[in-house]
Amino acid sequence: MDVPGQINITPSEEEIEELLELTPALVQKRRSQVRIIFDRFIRNRAALVGAAYLILLFFFCFLGPTISGHNQPDVIHPADASQAPILKYPFGTDDVGRDQFARAMAGGQVSLLVGLTSMLAAIIFGIGIGSLAGYYGGIVDNLLMRLTDVVLAVPLYLLLFVLSATFSDGSPRSVIFLIAIFGWTYAARLVRGEYLALKEREYVLAARTIGARNFRIMFRHMLPNAAGPIIVNATLLVGANIILESVLSYFGFGLHPPTSSWGNMISDGQALYELAPWLVFAPGLLIFVTVLSFNLVGDGLRDALDPYMTER
Amino acid sequence: MGEYLLEVQNLKTYFKVRAGKVRAVDGASFAVKAGERLGVVGESGCGKSVTALSIMRLVAQPPGEYAGGSILFEDQDLLELPESAMRKIRGGHIGMIFQDPMTCLNPTMAVGKQIAEGLRIHLKLGSDQALKRAVSLLEQVGIPDAATRASAYPHQFSGGMRQRVMIAIALACNPKLLIADEPTTALDVTVQAQILELISGVCNEFGTAVILITHDLGVVAGMTDRVVVMYAGKVVETAPTDELFANPRHPYTLGLLSSVPRLDEQRTRELRTIEGAPPDLLQPPPGCPFMPRCTFARAICRTMPPLDPVAGNAAHLKACWVDVTDPKEQAYADRRRKARLEAMQAVINTPTDATVQQTS
Repeated sequence: MDVPGQINITPSEEEIEELLELTPALVQKRRSQVRIIFDRFIRNRAALVGAAYLILLFFFCFLGPTISGHNQPDVIHPADASQAPILKYPFGTDDVGRDQFARAMAGGQVSLLVGLTSMLAAIIFGIGIGSLAGYYGGIVDNLLMRLTDVVLAVPLYLLLFVLSATFSDGSPRSVIFLIAIFGWTYAARLVRGEYLALKEREYVLAARTIGARNFRIMFRHMLPNAAGPIIVNATLLVGANIILESVLSYFGFGLHPPTSSWGNMISDGQALYELAPWLVFAPGLLIFVTVLSFNLVGDGLRDALDPYMTER
Repeated sequence: MGEYLLEVQNLKTYFKVRAGKVRAVDGASFAVKAGERLGVVGESGCGKSVTALSIMRLVAQPPGEYAGGSILFEDQDLLELPESAMRKIRGGHIGMIFQDPMTCLNPTMAVGKQIAEGLRIHLKLGSDQALKRAVSLLEQVGIPDAATRASAYPHQFSGGMRQRVMIAIALACNPKLLIADEPTTALDVTVQAQILELISGVCNEFGTAVILITHDLGVVAGMTDRVVVMYAGKVVETAPTDELFANPRHPYTLGLLSSVPRLDEQRTRELRTIEGAPPDLLQPPPGCPFMPRCTFARAICRTMPPLDPVAGNAAHLKACWVDVTDPKEQAYADRRRKARLEAMQAVINTPTDATVQQTS
């Protein structure tokens, strides 16, 4: 109904479409939180290289044996003993003729498994202790944090040597357990610190006004807000745990042969260092680059998960 | 059930600090009927927010403590309830909106989920159902395209929108009482009116009683049925809103009203203020807490006046010995005010060494 002199102000569907096309900024879909973090992460070159290396390493360790055919880490080839790296044995062989390439991959599986699982166990335990201490404060905080201090005050390596000599059967499971029961302390302190700050936030009070229980507030509301530092810490902890496992294995307190790990490969190879340096270099380089990559990824995540991030 | 939905009787909330006890709320009493809108006004630090938190029983203990009084909600004393029953009250029966919507929403949780949370806690809805209700709540508080916005995060909302979300959260479980603690202070003036209208509209719809805490007298005038004026942790006057604005009976209320700048008066008129500052709540003065600033003050004010009905109007209560409508008292107060101003002027105009040097 077009009354003369009256302007039709309701735009038609087509006109709206047109308007939307003219203003692309408004139509642009908002990026999700995860997407923002991802975009920021991939802008960090070093972290990207680290992440790429780690992905390759996973393929190398878990798919490598099947694809390359180097899937017999424990089989002895006496005819090929002490072979320098050649095409058939890319990492050479040791004095009894074991394929070092196959051993590196098998050892990598163990090292990654130990590093990741013990990190997971330590982080979960650390989150539990830290969030209880930080949230409830007072006497709970005091007890738990003094316990943490006690664990931190113990000379770690010596205790691990003693414990593994007494209790460990040299299986990956027992080594994971040993590493995890001492790895939680830094995570606990970190989480406690985060919770001390977070519990003063107004949205925690707001959550309380809708009748949320303490555990809901702790794990639904506060934990995601503390996730950034925890993830960073977890990533760095993987590297530290891989080193710890290697050290234990190097001294013979970690994984027992025939289970190979990068640590006990170095330990086995060092006696023959002058004759066959590749026995030490290959696993040593793998440990070095892997730990470095985990740290680079951790640093990248630290920047990407910055709580003061803006949508840029 | 009694006449009132909520009855706060002689509430005392103290905070223990090293120097002693801060009497943040010191014997406040007021009541809210079902569906009624009550305004609580007073300047900063007079115990408004602590009163609100006390009703929710969310004052951190320690350092806070409930030193006395009772808070009857549907004839149940909230101060006596076990924590588990209190959690059902929070969000389920009493909702709360805070001042700053920027910090009161969890930045890591989608807003739909935050609204749904209360529904899941109190109505035991499944996550799908709760989310559906959350979307319709978002629509009700006037957020366009609610279905997609429900999965957005707080940082993707503007301040006014966030306050709308807060309102949706507070009203999700259809509470009987909504406590709004300065809901518009952090917002743009243009948005303030929208938010107030929304609160009043939605609460009408749900039949929710409202306690509106504010220091903005204009907000109170437009929004509330009754007003409580607080000073230094005490209720000094309470009356139906129209009555209070037309016929204020406590010197503090008088001061508050006359310090509101008006558009229709002379531009050159000096802005009126209440001289002085609220008393130190660590050592409140004996007697009427307003006495040190009050121009009507007499010797009798050294003892605390009771909160009694004004002659001829049982709904209008004041805690003051003086009848401020008496012309004799008014003249006395005027004289004291002038004397005070002159004394202040004298202090300001006293030549100091610096000014003497400048002029010579």
